[in-house]
Amino acid sequence: MNSESTNAVLLGGHLPPLQRRRFGALMTTVTMLGLAVILAQAMVVVKARPQDLITGIHGMADLLSRSVPPDFSSFPSQLWPALETLDIAIFGTLFGVILALPLAALAARNTAPAPVLYHGARAFIAVCRSVPDLVWALLFVTAVGLGPFAGALALTIHSVGMMGRLLAEVIEDMDMGPMEALASTGAGRLQIFSHAVVPTVLPSLMSITLYRLDDNIRSSLVLGFVGAGGIGFQLLTAMSLFDYRTVSLLLIMTFVIVIGAERLSSALRQRVA
Amino acid sequence: MRYPTGRLALQSASLTVQPGELAVILGANGCGKSTMLRIIAGMIKPTGGEVRIAGRDITQLAGRALAEARMALGMVFQQPHLVRRRSVLANVLTGTLGRHRTIYTALGGLPRAEIPHGMGCLKQVGLSHFAQQRATTLSGGQAQRAAIARALAQRPRALLADEPVASLDPEAAEEVMRLLRQLATREGMAVLCVLHQPELARRYADRLLGLRQGVIAFADAPDKVSPAEIDSLYEGFHPA
Repeated sequence: MNSESTNAVLLGGHLPPLQRRRFGALMTTVTMLGLAVILAQAMVVVKARPQDLITGIHGMADLLSRSVPPDFSSFPSQLWPALETLDIAIFGTLFGVILALPLAALAARNTAPAPVLYHGARAFIAVCRSVPDLVWALLFVTAVGLGPFAGALALTIHSVGMMGRLLAEVIEDMDMGPMEALASTGAGRLQIFSHAVVPTVLPSLMSITLYRLDDNIRSSLVLGFVGAGGIGFQLLTAMSLFDYRTVSLLLIMTFVIVIGAERLSSALRQRVA
Repeated sequence: MRYPTGRLALQSASLTVQPGELAVILGANGCGKSTMLRIIAGMIKPTGGEVRIAGRDITQLAGRALAEARMALGMVFQQPHLVRRRSVLANVLTGTLGRHRTIYTALGGLPRAEIPHGMGCLKQVGLSHFAQQRATTLSGGQAQRAAIARALAQRPRALLADEPVASLDPEAAEEVMRLLRQLATREGMAVLCVLHQPELARRYADRLLGLRQGVIAFADAPDKVSPAEIDSLYEGFHPA
């Protein structure tokens, strides 16, 4: 009742009752039509052909039958790429946070020493964040060659972008009191940062880092597709060799790693909170 | 002192606080108390006049020299402003950072050589037993005393306190005022304190300074200042 009357005010409340109801119905129809048009153009653009799903069912069944049972005999040889995947994520997260923290201090209004540095840091963080990690990986593969190092660098840069922004927000939200108090004792700028800001934001810093690690593990699985090492690279190789039993093994490993990382990260985050 | 906005906050206000003296500034909101304290602390520069700490005019200093001159002044704020997750002792030791500008302390290390001094400061405020506890575990009054210990760790010649008891219950307020009194009497510290409680001021101060619209209305020993004079500071602010 209440929302109806609100709608009436918004949509032709100046009209008499009968016309008002008709006006409402008209607006509903127009909205529905609009949504239908948007959906239709999306289906055309993505070339959606539902019938292909039905005719393709054989292909899928074939694929499935060829991928069971998973090829567990190759499991030991996949452990190294799995470790690579994890280490790419760990490298990217740790170096990401080491770079992001000082940048965040420059990019937070209350701790930035000069406007130039503030805007510079903000811009740098924005660039790191807005270029997807997969694109960074492609760039680094070109620069340092195929292999996990390219992936690790890509995740580092992307993490700086993601964590830098979050940390800057945390720093901007913190209580300025301890910083003022330290400034009044004659402490230097860096000392104020390391003795007042860092201890205060530490819990947020930990939880942002753990969350990022979880995200980075998922990204690092995909990075292999552009040649940046790890399980993704094995997956790409196995698929191009039509070795579907290895593919299914790798997917199981991926599943275990992703779920494990998610669980571990959330358990640790609850601890630091 | 005139602010860039053109508002005149303080004029021809002059005062001297002797070592061993506890002077209290009284006045209504907006009368210029905070401005005065901020000028003395070197946080803002006055448009005219000078602030001498142990004979040295700090209004002419800037940057590092100002920071060093300010070390002679310990500040106590309305809130304790402790870093809540660190230990009480660590908080007190941060007061000594100004004289230990090393890479180690810039990266978050505490000057170990100052631990005995820090413990001494905690003893002065009666918090020795709490040294290793986190600052969050302290009560309001204890936290404010820890903040005073941090100011003492700085080895100041004078203490500036901006409404140090405003956020405390009466008992904790007495505790803090007693402590400031002791520091003046026993340690020969010059203490300048802004208060909103005329009654507390009367009991603890050596001298009361009444500030009205940026002008010092009276400055005398508490027993020479009449209640009417104090009330006149707040006229118009308590319509009831």
